[in-house]
Amino acid sequence: MKRYLLQVISLVAGLSLASQVKAQNTVKVGVLHSLSGTMAISETSLRDVLLFAFDEINNAGGIKVGDTSYKIDPVIVDGASNWPLFAEKAKQLLEEDKVAVTFGCWTSVSRKSVLPVYEKDNGLLFYPVQYEGEELSKNIFYTAEAVNQQAIPAVDYLLAQGKKKFYLIGTDYVYPQTTDLILYKYLLLHGVPPENIGGGFRKDDSGKVISAGKYVPFSYTDFQQIVADIKQFAASGDACVINTINGDSNVPFFKEIVAAGLTPADCPVVSFSLAEDELRSMPTKDMVGELGCWTYFMSLKTPENKTFLNNWNSWLQTESYPGVIKEKRAVDSPMVLSYDGVYLWKEAVEKAGTFDVDAVRKVLESGDISFEGPGGKITVQANHHCTKNVYIGETKANGQFKILETFPQVVGEPFLLKDLDDKLAAKQ
Amino acid sequence: MTNIFRLTLALLCVIFSIASVQAQDETAARAKLVQAILSEGTEQQKALTEIADSGSKVASDVLFAWTRDGIYIYVAPDGSKVPVMLEDQQDVEGRARGIRIIDGQPVKDASGKDMKFGDSDLNTADTDMRLRGEIQQTLDMLALADPDSDARSSAVTKLGNSQKESYIPILQTRLTKEKDVGVQKAIAEAIADLQLFDTNPTIQITGITQLAGLNSIGSLDNLKQLATSKGDPRVVKLANQAVGSIEHHIWWVNFYGTIFRGVSLGSILLIVALGLAITFGLMGVINMAHGEMIAVGAYTTYFIQNIFGAGFSFAINLPFSIAGRPLGFGLNLPGLNATGWFYQSYFLFAIPLSFIMAALAGLVLERTVIQFLYRRPLESLLATWGVSLVMQQLFRMVFGANNVQVNSPSWLLGHFTIDDVSFGYNRVFVVAFAILIVIGTWLLLSKTPLGLLIRAVMQNRSMASCMGVRTTRVNMITFAFGSGLAGLAGAFLSQIGNVGPSLGQNYIVDSFMTVVVGGVGSIIGTVYSALGIGVSDQVLQQQLGSPVMGKIIVLTCIILFLQWKPGGLFSIRSRNLD
Amino acid sequence: MLVKTTKWELWIVAVATVSLLAVLPSLNAFTAPESLMHVSDFTINLYGKYLCYGILAISVDLLWGYTGLLSLGQCLFFALGGYMMGMYLMRMIGDLGQYHQPIPDFLVFLGWSRLPTFWEPFSSFAFALVMVILLPAVLALVFGFLAFRSRIKGVYFAILTQALTYAGCLLFFRNDLLMGGNNGFTDFKFIAGYDLRNASTQRGLYICTVLLLLGTYALCKWLTATKFGKVQQAIRDSENRVLFSGYATAHFKLFVFVLAAIIAGLAGALYVPQVGIINPSEMGPDKSLEAIIWVAVGGRGTLIGPVIGAFAVNAMKSWATRAYPDLWLLFLGLTFILVTLFMPKGIVGLPAQLGVVKQRFWPAKPVVDESKPVVVEEAPLTKPD
Repeated sequence: MKRYLLQVISLVAGLSLASQVKAQNTVKVGVLHSLSGTMAISETSLRDVLLFAFDEINNAGGIKVGDTSYKIDPVIVDGASNWPLFAEKAKQLLEEDKVAVTFGCWTSVSRKSVLPVYEKDNGLLFYPVQYEGEELSKNIFYTAEAVNQQAIPAVDYLLAQGKKKFYLIGTDYVYPQTTDLILYKYLLLHGVPPENIGGGFRKDDSGKVISAGKYVPFSYTDFQQIVADIKQFAASGDACVINTINGDSNVPFFKEIVAAGLTPADCPVVSFSLAEDELRSMPTKDMVGELGCWTYFMSLKTPENKTFLNNWNSWLQTESYPGVIKEKRAVDSPMVLSYDGVYLWKEAVEKAGTFDVDAVRKVLESGDISFEGPGGKITVQANHHCTKNVYIGETKANGQFKILETFPQVVGEPFLLKDLDDKLAAKQ
Repeated sequence: MTNIFRLTLALLCVIFSIASVQAQDETAARAKLVQAILSEGTEQQKALTEIADSGSKVASDVLFAWTRDGIYIYVAPDGSKVPVMLEDQQDVEGRARGIRIIDGQPVKDASGKDMKFGDSDLNTADTDMRLRGEIQQTLDMLALADPDSDARSSAVTKLGNSQKESYIPILQTRLTKEKDVGVQKAIAEAIADLQLFDTNPTIQITGITQLAGLNSIGSLDNLKQLATSKGDPRVVKLANQAVGSIEHHIWWVNFYGTIFRGVSLGSILLIVALGLAITFGLMGVINMAHGEMIAVGAYTTYFIQNIFGAGFSFAINLPFSIAGRPLGFGLNLPGLNATGWFYQSYFLFAIPLSFIMAALAGLVLERTVIQFLYRRPLESLLATWGVSLVMQQLFRMVFGANNVQVNSPSWLLGHFTIDDVSFGYNRVFVVAFAILIVIGTWLLLSKTPLGLLIRAVMQNRSMASCMGVRTTRVNMITFAFGSGLAGLAGAFLSQIGNVGPSLGQNYIVDSFMTVVVGGVGSIIGTVYSALGIGVSDQVLQQQLGSPVMGKIIVLTCIILFLQWKPGGLFSIRSRNLD
Repeated sequence: MLVKTTKWELWIVAVATVSLLAVLPSLNAFTAPESLMHVSDFTINLYGKYLCYGILAISVDLLWGYTGLLSLGQCLFFALGGYMMGMYLMRMIGDLGQYHQPIPDFLVFLGWSRLPTFWEPFSSFAFALVMVILLPAVLALVFGFLAFRSRIKGVYFAILTQALTYAGCLLFFRNDLLMGGNNGFTDFKFIAGYDLRNASTQRGLYICTVLLLLGTYALCKWLTATKFGKVQQAIRDSENRVLFSGYATAHFKLFVFVLAAIIAGLAGALYVPQVGIINPSEMGPDKSLEAIIWVAVGGRGTLIGPVIGAFAVNAMKSWATRAYPDLWLLFLGLTFILVTLFMPKGIVGLPAQLGVVKQRFWPAKPVVDESKPVVVEEAPLTKPD
């Protein structure tokens, strides 16, 4: 029995020893995503696009720091949709592997879980998925869409289309709660009366609204009641639905919407968590005209995007990494923002002339680092968020988006709530 | 003779002239359509209005296709833009003939041959939300004359919501022609709704009375607005009364709606739990891989759909290599490329096949794992949980980590409405499906020799064995049957929810609950408990306005309920203490 | 008797105690990071986490292996203990959060401007410690009282506890509960005045965990050897006979259930500051199942088995999520199937099993070799029906 215990110990110790051996002229870069568990659905694609970006850079000669070129050596770990495991893996990447930078996380909770680790060990994390804002860590760069780069432009668009009633629905976690609260205040500011904002409110003792909208748990499947509610809400016309439902639950939600006969012409649904990758599993034939808002759409017709898509497709044909699916792949905004992140970091490193986190951060914060990505120009701001183009699109039967409107070079703004409160107070 | 000849001739003339008038109308409408597609701004609007007046059938087809990105612009060699539609019939490369909107003829190349286009060869004629709104309005006007009464009422409702009084005369004209009672009601409602915006109190009052009588939910907002306005006091008072009566109506609509939704949720629980009622309830095996059996059924449905469609293929790369070559395997099956009703019928084939596939999977599971654990029920839980992890990972490897797309056949989409309570076809189908499965299971267990054997083995395995029953075989069949039922559940769940590797996990706690509440070993108990849980969940959700709290309360109630009746609703009486 | 301490077990416990309590922390604290002998902060932290799992596994085994109660909700108590500690740790952040406000960040962006009343007392470490024990104990007492009174047992008990933890999980996912919702608690800074980001604090927590593990082990060892423990095991083997002999089995079961809940709660309280996050997924039904797997793999009905199992499975998980991220679930699943089918007594029972195999192929000489362990097959763990 002792043998077993010793074996296990030596196994772990041996591993950590093995990983300390460093080859020359390579730089270790961490990839921290869930490759198993519930979040594997979304995050595996990000791992794939990161591998693609690394191969692309390595084939083009690697990263030039001073006179030496470094090849990227990816360290891929699986967070397994398990948040404490994310923290453990982050620690491992920083303390054992000593990676120069990490690209990773999808859910807010995984980011919150690794954030203290990155701050303690002074690491560098690039986070690529739309999120609720209200956070600013000196060790994280958010290539992600902030609320003012997704939800607010979408609502602006709907208001311009003459929509008068807004139904808010989402999964019960921080991103939808915060986004809906921001939108609630934003709508009030734009003259929409509270009774035209559907889904219900929760107020604190003083009567202040602290939560707006209807919330369902993760992996919820039964939307009959909610859709019936929406149908009554939309019966008087000019209504729309703001959907922050996450992941899986969107399929039953939209199947119910279709079955209830709510068409986009009557009551469009604008979704913030549905990109091309998710649409592959949705009944898109019956969803034509539903809206989406992202900083990249696969259907963009820019030369950068065309090159990117061509390279990506030919990479898919030739790569031999295990677990990368080659068929019927879609590209979406989180993937492109991951990809952009790699290039932004590369540029910052080359400019700083070192992999040192503090130096790289300083360069990134300078505001001079930008990249002509597939979704347009993206520039890192001093507040660790990025300036980028925002697009409103509507779904087509083939699962792509048709771009309806472009908001060029929107500045990412993480803290919105307080500002809105002030404006509302001034208005009253 | 001559008379008859003349008469015939005259008739023919009339027919021909009607036909030619129609043809002329159609040509004009087609010209207008092309104009609308190619122009922009006010010109486009004008063209659309004119199309709305034409009442042409072609127009609504084309406009509908336009809103769904079905109109493409073919740029002719001379640089002129030709709007075309692609035919449904595609060749092997997925290309189809392009039909010109202007004359309904296929586009030909220089040599006079029909040209074929793929989806990506042409640009679509773009629409934005505003334009689609206008097209939709045009379609609605056209739909006022649609032969289908549902289309007519929905068009009428939209005009009623438009708040434009100018539609009142159009609707009134339509009302005189309308024969269908439902549509008549919709028109009356639309007219009344529009009348609310009149400045004359008398007309407003007519509208309010009418709406109150019709219990119009759609006009509630407008009525509320009137009720709080500072207009004519009579109007305000009546509007208040109308709001009250409509809200009362909504209460009843929600009441019946909730009952129906509860029954449909209960039916889903029932279908999901019935297989478990057999494997767990009758056999005592705690099958944590039950959820994955459901997923097998759902993936089978997906597989069949793809076989009817474009085919199915997958490839797995393993992270091992032999002599530098990565290890992997794959499969490539061509599809039938079916279309129309044949494609829509895929689901009918998928149902029995889901049963068979899940039953086979169950058979394998029983032979390899479960058969060793009949005496160790708690340990069957652990082993099957391992099975469930393995199966989830296999799904991920074969079908990808993403959810897969299962399209519902058109006959399961849509809904019908009785007095504002809407019944989705898929929901009605699930209720019927659940009834059928329960009856089938009950018949099998109680009326067939096999059922007798199953019950004998389940009641006392060793005694049955002594009596000469081949218990191994009965165990095998029973477990396969239970798993097959789970597969049927999967086939159905693919129509209302997502199909992904963790599909089964969402249902596992619920299905165990259902079986335990119903009383382990009792099929009828499972039926009652599924319906009970389903309805109370929906009622609580409706009352509390929160889907989660409803579920938490139901779970708590179940825990408390089992204190009161530890054996469930229908516990099997036994003298055995253990 | 199964609880009889074999020479082997003593040896393992002694070696493990010395190495875990003295050798590893010293190697961590007193060697240079470049040294080959150095144990990194990461490893200490990782082992601390495994040891918490080990304590949780002992609590599962106390119920399952010794009393025959398979609880699929043990992680609920673990997580509750963790949450209570988490509330204290959240208070200790003070105004160092994102918003630099005196209340936790998630409350700020849920629109709260002052601390909800039930959060107030958690500024005190002592109060938090009391709650770590009290909350799981009270919940276990209420649930256990109801369940054992109506003689719910076996599979029903398993499924009910699963429902309980599922309900708890759903409840804690709600943001309205003001317990952080899905994001839970994270970004801790201080514990009892020590900075959590310091390696020494982490080492201290690690040593606390080892001590708690040893304490739990000793307590359970003693308990299972007393008359109480005999009744407990008799309940496992045949509850009715015990009942007919005049013992109020429900009381015995209730006591063990509450004790196990407290142990799990304490483990959770030590787990949270070491991993730095607590969120509702910790009380999901799958987590509790995993804990049961550790026990099954290690060997139930023993007290070192669960700890070995927790270590083995989690070390394998840590390794496989990195070496074979796409396949590790296959490994894990297959391990469970194989262990259940072929190793009913887990790793601890393996030598005995191998002994049987050896006996079959190389019949033993009549003389018993004193140096070899002889584990005699004792009463079956589950009774045949």
